Amino acid sequence: MRTWRIILSVAGIVLAVFGAVGLIAGVPIGALAILALWMIGAVVIHDGIIAPVTVTIGWALTRTIPPRARRYVQAFLIGAGLVTIIAMPLILRRNTQPASKAILQQNYAGNLTVLLGIFAGLSLLAYAAHIAHDQHARTINGTSSGSQSG
Amino acid sequence: MPESATPTPSPPRRPPAWWPHFSSPLRSTALTARIGRLLGICFSICFVTGLLSRYQQHPWAWLPEPASPVWGYRVTQGIHVATGTATIPLLLVKLWSVYPNLFRWPTIRSLKHAAERFSVSVLVAASIVQLVTGFLNILNWYPWPWSFVSVHNFLAYVVIGSILLHIGIKLPDIKYGLQAKLGDGDVLTELPWQDNPDAHSNAGTLPPPPAAALTRRGLLITSGLGIGAVVATSIGQTVTPLEPIGLLAVRQPSKGPQRVPVNRTADQAKVIAAASAADWTLTVDGPRPYTLTLDQIEKLATTQDHLPINCVEGWSVGAQWRGIPLLEIVTRAGGDSDSHVRVRSLEKDGAYNNSAVEGPQVGRALLATHLNGERLDIDHGYPLRLIAPDRAGVLNTKWLTKIEVS
Repeated sequence: MRTWRIILSVAGIVLAVFGAVGLIAGVPIGALAILALWMIGAVVIHDGIIAPVTVTIGWALTRTIPPRARRYVQAFLIGAGLVTIIAMPLILRRNTQPASKAILQQNYAGNLTVLLGIFAGLSLLAYAAHIAHDQHARTINGTSSGSQSG
Repeated sequence: MPESATPTPSPPRRPPAWWPHFSSPLRSTALTARIGRLLGICFSICFVTGLLSRYQQHPWAWLPEPASPVWGYRVTQGIHVATGTATIPLLLVKLWSVYPNLFRWPTIRSLKHAAERFSVSVLVAASIVQLVTGFLNILNWYPWPWSFVSVHNFLAYVVIGSILLHIGIKLPDIKYGLQAKLGDGDVLTELPWQDNPDAHSNAGTLPPPPAAALTRRGLLITSGLGIGAVVATSIGQTVTPLEPIGLLAVRQPSKGPQRVPVNRTADQAKVIAAASAADWTLTVDGPRPYTLTLDQIEKLATTQDHLPINCVEGWSVGAQWRGIPLLEIVTRAGGDSDSHVRVRSLEKDGAYNNSAVEGPQVGRALLATHLNGERLDIDHGYPLRLIAPDRAGVLNTKWLTKIEVS
C-alpha cells in the first residue's frame, strides 16, 4: 500500500505541475489572474452557498417531515436538484444563437417542468406503494403497529 | 477512518460548541468511496477522450489521424461531452458526501495536513472550473478572457494529477470504504474517525445507526436516476434515435438546415458574397496547378458517401454526401495518396479557415457539393466543402477556394 501511495502521489504531482506550468506559460497574465479568481470563486460558491443550502434543506426536512414520507421527499429533491443544475444554463442561454446552428432552441423551462413532474409522480407512486405495503402488513399482523417507519 | 492502524482514543479533541456539527447517517466513507470510484472513472474517460480530441488538432507527423473507423471521433467525442455533463451532478453528490471534512477539527493538525488540505482545494477548484467551462463551451458561452481550448487542455492535467495525488493520500480510507458494507460504514462527520467515540468502528460490533428516512443505497439510486435522466435527455444530440426525448439536449441535429446543425454560419464567417459569386473558382496548387469553375465542379461531383459530421462540442449526425474524391483532385495536380494536402476557405480570419489532410484521410476525404440530396446550404459550406471520416467537424473546412498539394 505504501509503495502505491508514493507512486500515485508522485505521478499526480508531476501531472498537476505540468498542467500548472502549461497554464502559466501559455495564458496571458491578465487572463491567468481571472482564471485564478474563477477557481477561488468555484470553491467559495460551492462551499459557501451550494453546500450550506443543501445541508440546511436536509436539516429542515428532518425537523418537519416524518421519516416515512421524508424518504420520498429527499429522493425527489435529489433527482430534481441534479437535473435542475444542468437545465439552468440552458434556460439562461435559450435562443442566443443563429437558428441554423440548431442549438438552444428548445423551451428548456417547460422541459425541466416535465422532468420534475415525472420525478414528482414517481416519488408519489413510491410513497403510495410504501403506505399500501405498511397497511397490508398491519392487516396480516392483526396489530396496529405493523410499521416501524411511522 | 483508519488512517493509522491503531486508533488513539486519548483525550478527544472536541471542537467548540459553535462549530458546525454534522450528524446525517447518510454520509459515510463507505458511500464516498463508492461515489469517488465512479467519479475517478468519469474523469479518466474525459481525460483520455480529451487527449484523443486534442490529437485531432495536433497529430504527430509520423502517425496521422486514421480514416477508420469512420465513426471513431463521433463516439469518443460524444462520450467525452456526455460523460463530462454527467460528471457535474456526480461531483456535486461527491462533494456533499465529504462536506464535513471542510470543518475538520482541529482545522490544521500538521504541515502535512495543511499540504493535504491545499491539494484538495486545488482538486475541487480545478474540477469545478473544468466541468463548468466545458459545459458552457458546448452552449457557445464564453464569459472569460482566455482561450478555452488551451486552458481546458492544461487544466485537465491539473485535474487528473490532483485526482491521482488525492487517491494516493486517501488510499487507506478508500480501501476501508470499499471494503465496508454500504450500510455499515462509519458516519462521516467533522471529527476524524480516530477522535470520534461515536464512530461505529470505535463502538465495536454494534449495529450501525439505522437510517431514519432515505438510506445510503437509496441515495445512490436516486442520484443515479437524476444523473441518468440528464444523460438520457441530452445524449440525443449525438445518439440520433434518442433525439425525440432530448429534453435537455443542447443541439437538435434534425433542426439544422438539410438536417445537419451548423457551428459557424456563412454570416459569422463573412463569406456570403464570395461564396455565392457566380465566378467562384477552385484553385489547385501542386506540381501541375489548375483551376476549376463552378460548372466543372458540378459535373465532377458524382461520388456518394455516408459520413457522420462530429463536432468537438459533442453533437454528431450521420449524413449522405455527394462530391468529388479529394484524391481525384490531388492526382490531377500531380500528387498521390502520400501527398500533404492543405485546404483553404474563403473565410479571411479565424483559426479554422484552413486544415491539413494527411495520411489515410487523403484517400477517404470528399470535396462535397451535396448534403442529404440537396445542393449544399451556404451555412454548410456552399459551393464546396471538405468532409472526411473520423475527423473533427471544425476541421472539415467549408467554403473552399484553394487546395494545396505538396
